[in-house]
Amino acid sequence: MNHRLKKLITNWRVIILLVFIVISLVAIHPSLGKGVAIRTVLSDSSAGIAGIPQPKPNTQPVSRERIVSINNAQINNVNDYYNYVSALPLNRTIQVKTTQRIYKLTTREKFETVELNETEEKIITENAEKNITVNGTIKTINETITKTIVVPKTKQVSLGVEDIGLKVFDAPATNIRKGLDLQGGTRVLLQPEVKLNSYDISVLLDNMKERLNVYGLSDLVIREANDLPPPLGTGNQYIVVEIAGATEDEVKDLLAKQGKFEAKIGNKTVFRGGQDIVYVARSANEAGIDPNSGCGPTGNQWACRFRFSITLTQDAAQRQADSTKDLSVVYDPTTKRSDYLSDKIQFYLDDKLVDELNIGSDLKGQPATQIAISGSGVGNNQQEAIYNSLENMKRMQTILITGSLPVKLDIVKTDSISPVLGEGFVNNAILMSLLAILSVAVVLAIRYRKLIIAIPILVTMLSEVIILLGVAAFIGWNIDLAAIAGILVVIGTGVDDQIVITDETLKGEASNVYNWKEKVRRAFVIIMLAYATVVVAMIPLIFAGAGLLKGFAITTIIGVTIGVFITRPAYSSFVEIMLK
Amino acid sequence: MDEQAGIQQNKPHNIEPKRNWKQALFHIYDKKYKQLLIIPFLILLFSLSQIAYQYHTTGDFIIRDVSLKGGVTITIPLQKEVNVDNVQKQILQHFPGHDVIVRSLRSTGTSVGIIVEADIDGNSKDQVQSLLAATGNSIGIDLTKVHYGIEIVGSSLGASFFKESLIALAVAFLFMGLVIFIYFRTFVPSIAVIIAAFSDIVFALAMVNIMGVRIGTAGIAAFLMLIGYSVDTDILLTVRVLKRREGTVMDRIISSIKTGMTETMTAMVAILVAMFVTQSEVIRQIMIILFVGLIADIFNTWIQNSGLLRIYIEKKAKKGIII
Repeated sequence: MNHRLKKLITNWRVIILLVFIVISLVAIHPSLGKGVAIRTVLSDSSAGIAGIPQPKPNTQPVSRERIVSINNAQINNVNDYYNYVSALPLNRTIQVKTTQRIYKLTTREKFETVELNETEEKIITENAEKNITVNGTIKTINETITKTIVVPKTKQVSLGVEDIGLKVFDAPATNIRKGLDLQGGTRVLLQPEVKLNSYDISVLLDNMKERLNVYGLSDLVIREANDLPPPLGTGNQYIVVEIAGATEDEVKDLLAKQGKFEAKIGNKTVFRGGQDIVYVARSANEAGIDPNSGCGPTGNQWACRFRFSITLTQDAAQRQADSTKDLSVVYDPTTKRSDYLSDKIQFYLDDKLVDELNIGSDLKGQPATQIAISGSGVGNNQQEAIYNSLENMKRMQTILITGSLPVKLDIVKTDSISPVLGEGFVNNAILMSLLAILSVAVVLAIRYRKLIIAIPILVTMLSEVIILLGVAAFIGWNIDLAAIAGILVVIGTGVDDQIVITDETLKGEASNVYNWKEKVRRAFVIIMLAYATVVVAMIPLIFAGAGLLKGFAITTIIGVTIGVFITRPAYSSFVEIMLK
Repeated sequence: MDEQAGIQQNKPHNIEPKRNWKQALFHIYDKKYKQLLIIPFLILLFSLSQIAYQYHTTGDFIIRDVSLKGGVTITIPLQKEVNVDNVQKQILQHFPGHDVIVRSLRSTGTSVGIIVEADIDGNSKDQVQSLLAATGNSIGIDLTKVHYGIEIVGSSLGASFFKESLIALAVAFLFMGLVIFIYFRTFVPSIAVIIAAFSDIVFALAMVNIMGVRIGTAGIAAFLMLIGYSVDTDILLTVRVLKRREGTVMDRIISSIKTGMTETMTAMVAILVAMFVTQSEVIRQIMIILFVGLIADIFNTWIQNSGLLRIYIEKKAKKGIII
């Protein structure tokens, strides 16, 4: 027996299986991380001001920043967190200890501005040009005029303590990303009113991402989904928006809001997205790294400049001229040039400042409809600098287009899963899978009357699931209910194949006629044929039906592939060594 | 008339003159395979007529749930037991003429929540709100204070999704058939595998119709899974019978039954366990369809497919080709 065991663990097929299991466990990274993980940080909140960074969506679940304690009180779960935070008084400074560092937050008062029925007088000052005649010549001077205007009275109403602006969830125990239906959240399927080409779709997706990021929502998925192309299907286009931890109403409100883009100089709106910007150049020869200034080293870094042009309406151009004509040209001592005006142009997305740019001095007072927009990006080397400046450019273009979303989007499907149900589903799915696997082992033990057959099949099934989950964790694949259904298929076909291997090699008259290699080959003929049919049967689902069953199809394909190429060979080696 | 081909193959099994019921059954299975073929084909005919009847009476050949026809599904976690029939009646009063179904969500026999399905217009906020209100009233809880789940499907999406799924199912079936044809390269055995898989799916469809199971997106996935499981046993049988040389044809069939029935039994037991334990309607729907399909797979593989295979072998034998 010892000899066989030694032979088993030195068998290369078994070694490959073991290696895969180990890699998978590393990828899954089971951990006992305490605390609550940060999902989003609202930008204009106590937490945002204290410098708690917005988590990046591609961070592995286990490596997410977690809150461990607040004011030395342990935070073990979401309930602890909300109980503690909701009881905080006004202007209290708290210490939030996370896995990264310690932040100091101060709670603030929440106000609401209410417009009253009364009006009040307000005195404002304005600069105006005035022509005066001095000694027969006309001179233009700037004059400050004081005006009195009537505005409605407003009042600040306190709404108590403002939330510190964090959205949290229980610390994930593994790197397996739970799909929406297992962790709670909302998925919305949107359909553009008219069919868009791939370019427009990508513009639209960028726009939506940019807008939702403005709201501090980073834990989200926005992607395109399609029906089968004609003549097979309708070829309908959809956009899927998935936001974890958000309710149906929150997501719908957000999507219903028309993206509003405004560019302001001083406090005056110069142009708005949609109506004032006629055209934003995005093609390669109209937008890109500025060929005149290009890239160059600055200190120990590289910097590149990008440029692209936009076209404004006459009205917007005139407004631009009006608001720049009184600005002064600023002399920059470092460049020894006077390139820019004293005020910047500021870009607001849904009333939040998202970016600002210097205004070229040549634009002062000029109603130009064609405006060049430039900016820069830095990086550790030239390539990085080029990449970053192009990214910055893309973002700027995206912002400028917002508000003129190419089409209206209809909500065709909403799917909101309560986190309570989701949590139950996970535990239940694990219980279900374990009991199902166990019951299979019992049936096999009865059929073969040998534990040495039933137990290895059980082990093979479990290792298949582990490797499948490892692959999912590695490639960032979401495990949702559809994927669990896929895992069930994988277990099912796995058992079938293991039975075929067992019967082909150990049973029947064939055992005396053929050598071992031939018997294994014969088993694999059946297995490969069954494998091929399952894979081809799943392929249409990847492309059909708005991709709603894509998770099921892909999980199944990955799973049966792992089975056929990794676990089946190992099992057949096991049978050969231990039972021959 | 079928004796001619059978004689040399079946001799070893007829040594004992006295027969117990097991041997009698075996005798029928061995000798009367052509007559036995009537059973699966009658069942196929019955299944097809059920589906035709369903189509004739409802205009649809399955009972679609809201995910395939549009509407609203609300899932409410609930510890207490409620009378779902009463809840359904109460909600229906607010939505006359609509299709409202209330079911309880169960796991290991205990109620963990209820599911309300209604084919109302999901795009109308008022309708959705009043459904929520009616549901909350009838089960006596304030839904604004509970984490419920809600799924809203526009009717056009439901319809297009249904169409898409059917196409995907058809294409999957076609691909599966192609793989079978490419491997076996003979018409009758390949078509026998395909007919068997087809019969499984049609039987499962007819049975879920009779049981009144509503099919949603998960159901479509289940039918695809069924294609896979169904051909597993058919492939096993066909490969063993056509590509193997040891023993008689009947020996090879019997050995296939042993392996194949082990496969089916493990699957069925696992499905029953999953059906009992799960608290997800999605998983339960998949399991029901698979279970019914696997029952069909037993007679469609071991009577229909094996019968067709034996006729094929017999024809070949007449031409002097012994398999």
